[in-house]
Amino acid sequence: MQRLPLSYLKPGMKTYEEVYDAQGRVLCGKGVELTEEMIKRFYELGVSYVTVEGTPVKLPWEKSLEEELSELEKRFEGVNDENLLQIKEILKELLYEKYKARIHQS
Amino acid sequence: MKNIKQESINPDPSEKRKEVKKKLRKLEGLPTLPPIIQRLNQMIEDERTSLHQIAEIIEKDQVITTKILRLANSAFYGFPRKVSTVQQAMMLLGLNVLKILIMTSSIFEFIHKEDIGLWEHSIGVAACSKIIAEKIGAGDSQEIATAGLLHDLGRVIIMVVLKEDQPKILDLISEGVDPLSAEKRVLGIDHAEIGAFLMAQWNLPERLIEAVASHHNLENSKKYRKEASILHLSDLLVHARGYGKTLYESLPPFEVRALKYLGLGWGEIKEILFNLEPRLYELKFFTEELKKELSS
Ligand SMILES: [Fe+2]
Ligand SMILES: [Fe+2]
Repeated sequence: MQRLPLSYLKPGMKTYEEVYDAQGRVLCGKGVELTEEMIKRFYELGVSYVTVEGTPVKLPWEKSLEEELSELEKRFEGVNDENLLQIKEILKELLYEKYKARIHQS
Repeated sequence: MKNIKQESINPDPSEKRKEVKKKLRKLEGLPTLPPIIQRLNQMIEDERTSLHQIAEIIEKDQVITTKILRLANSAFYGFPRKVSTVQQAMMLLGLNVLKILIMTSSIFEFIHKEDIGLWEHSIGVAACSKIIAEKIGAGDSQEIATAGLLHDLGRVIIMVVLKEDQPKILDLISEGVDPLSAEKRVLGIDHAEIGAFLMAQWNLPERLIEAVASHHNLENSKKYRKEASILHLSDLLVHARGYGKTLYESLPPFEVRALKYLGLGWGEIKEILFNLEPRLYELKFFTEELKKELSS
């Protein structure tokens, strides 16, 4: 799954989850193929992001799990404070979960 | 001219401090506020002015309107719906925050151009501050998000107004001096104090000023220790996540007391980080867009 701002959406992409408006009304169901018309309507109704199936867009700033983990290690190099190490553990957990969800999908 | 040169060879911190404050008072080197902003300021101060009137004036200025809407729509304020008019932004953000955004918009612009890493850091801290403020119910969370946005304002000022001192600070840091002491050694004052000093000059709310002034030293805060702690913790978490770039190569010094002041345990810290992640993801699109615009 990939969460994208409206300007990145293209007709033919499929919704991964429902799209809601600000009042919580469903504008579009799960697994629906987007059309030009629908994307235009999202703009009009003030939707900002839509989650689509797979990872159709390559985002140049996105890192792999390995890169994320090794950069995390580097940031915490030489840190012994147990509080800071707690935060590091939480971040590790976060990264594993984030990337697990992705692999599951694509 | 000769005088200045000599000073840089043999700086006296307390003398330098006076000189820096004098410069800040005159705002040398900072882009001057366009007339419309001065006009708006008068209107905002004037109790009789209606929100509608203020919005009308702002909307006449394309540049400021664009800036306000862009900031209001960026993920650190986290509105579920697109903010498309100045009136809406005013309702959602409040006049106080709007005023700050207007007054500081030329500085934000400077941060984008000069130091996108610091800009990313600042909006990351804004988003995180908002999440923490909401979590602990610390009053106007929009205002705290704005404090987060401004917390390293002093760094920007050093880069703009005190340009010639910046290399000396960087030299000391590369020799292993920590960033705050390096600033103090070269300028006689650090970025937290500089930011707060300027915010006081602009008559921004006390709550924001004190939080910014003490974001690296909680002991300095009195009335607004919670707000200072929110900035302090957000600063650490955003560094720890590796979002943006500052003078701290890895992590800034952390005072664990911040957690106590905020009444937060590890379970809550985890929730905060998990809530922050999607915000940072969205913010990345925002800064990348800016980068593209700047390079085109
Ligand atoms: Fe700072
Ligand atoms: Fe910071």
